[in-house]
Amino acid sequence: MTANTAPEAALGVLPKADGSAKYSHAGYTITASVNGPLEAQRKDEHPNEAHVDVIVRPAAGVGATRERHLESVLQSSLSQIILVKNFPRGLIQIVLQIEETPENDYVNTKLVQASVNFPIMPALFQTCILALLSAAVPMRATATASVVAIVLEGEKKKTVVDPTPKQLQTAQSVHVLAFTSHDELLLAESEGDFTVQEWDEIYETAKGICCRPQTRKSGAEMVLDEADVAGQADMRQFIRSTMEGKVAADLHWK
Amino acid sequence: METQSQSFVVLPGDAIDPSIIPTTKTKPLRLGPGLRHIPPSEIVPTVSGKLIVDPRKNSMWVEYNSHRYIPSQNDLIIGQIARNAADFYYVNISPYNSNATLPHLSFESATKKTRPQLAPGQLIYARVTLANKHMDAELECVSSTTGKAEGLGPITGGMVFDISLGFARRLLMAKSKDEGGLQVLELLGEEGLAFETAVGRNGKVWVGSDSPKIVIIVGRALKETDEGDLGVDAQKKLVKRLMRDMR
Repeated sequence: MTANTAPEAALGVLPKADGSAKYSHAGYTITASVNGPLEAQRKDEHPNEAHVDVIVRPAAGVGATRERHLESVLQSSLSQIILVKNFPRGLIQIVLQIEETPENDYVNTKLVQASVNFPIMPALFQTCILALLSAAVPMRATATASVVAIVLEGEKKKTVVDPTPKQLQTAQSVHVLAFTSHDELLLAESEGDFTVQEWDEIYETAKGICCRPQTRKSGAEMVLDEADVAGQADMRQFIRSTMEGKVAADLHWK
Repeated sequence: METQSQSFVVLPGDAIDPSIIPTTKTKPLRLGPGLRHIPPSEIVPTVSGKLIVDPRKNSMWVEYNSHRYIPSQNDLIIGQIARNAADFYYVNISPYNSNATLPHLSFESATKKTRPQLAPGQLIYARVTLANKHMDAELECVSSTTGKAEGLGPITGGMVFDISLGFARRLLMAKSKDEGGLQVLELLGEEGLAFETAVGRNGKVWVGSDSPKIVIIVGRALKETDEGDLGVDAQKKLVKRLMRDMR
């Protein structure tokens, strides 16, 4: 599987859940279900806001430290965009089942417990957003995420979007950034050695992918625009077109 | 950011073009579900759906479909008695949500001495009188203005089917054929089936009839219309097929 396949999504794949989404991009396939707002358990109950519960299930075996870390990162950023204050003492439960990953998940994954798995973050994040939209959970804004790595090529450093597993092994640093639809930075996680200048560059690259302006360009301009971010899907436009399909199907009678 | 395309499909956080917001001096603007007002003057959608603007009623809302019911005042709902307390019943209106309360005195001509004795599991058709995010919802089975039941109260016999919230909304429309594109119940009636229905805004529809066969047919027709997003023509075909299978 190549890293730069076009993203694909299906909504409402699980009939019993309040909302669900199946998303595949860059070799990852993830199914998410969202239930909520529900009644929170006593230990999770918060008097003023809903608790967002994220559960990540790996493709094989049971979740461990790595999954807990992914959950905590997702939980804190999703709580920012879900209108949690609308549902005091409530619970919004998000379950993410990883189905496919570009590496072979049956070997070597749990060897290094401390190692984090950044490249899967954008896929998990995007699936969460789609499933939340499918469940019609009230949100402040939508959000998009991307992963960018700095790879050493000979003497030169190069920024790579959606790096392949091989590039990741040799990468100097890996970064995950998420932006809301208001162009605000929502999540920034980094691993490895990098300078401030490099981080700024990463920030601009990721912002370019996540926050592409919505104006529909025509003719030559569009071709140019496509060319300078070759192969990169416009995530925001992707989420919009997926939702437009869902809304059209739901409101066929209108 | 996209403000106004040909269709008004909105996503959470989209900016709404001020020119499409209705403005009149006489009536205040009414915001329906799916919209959030951020003072002083921002109106932002919170769910994805179709933004509907009604300049006549000076209102706007987002039309969408979902599965989880969030109580709101004056909704008609079908609930199930969970247990009895000193002054009220606890009523389950959607799974895994906290129970609503139904005071013992909120029934037609109920007094402390004469009130309906409802067992756990009993279905009731009720109206939401209080919906507040900080409190459990409160229900009534009597109109507080007239003191009459007006069709509300315990439901016996029949069967309840789960439907999506958008479908329940369409069934409850006054002109569900013209506005909601729904004809399936009328068609079934024309075929000579005798049945009655009660629709709960919480995604439940109750079907009652003397014959269990008719209950199943009507319930299945409703569920298939909902799940298959059937149009009027497809509803006609569905009713024909179900009637043929019954014979």
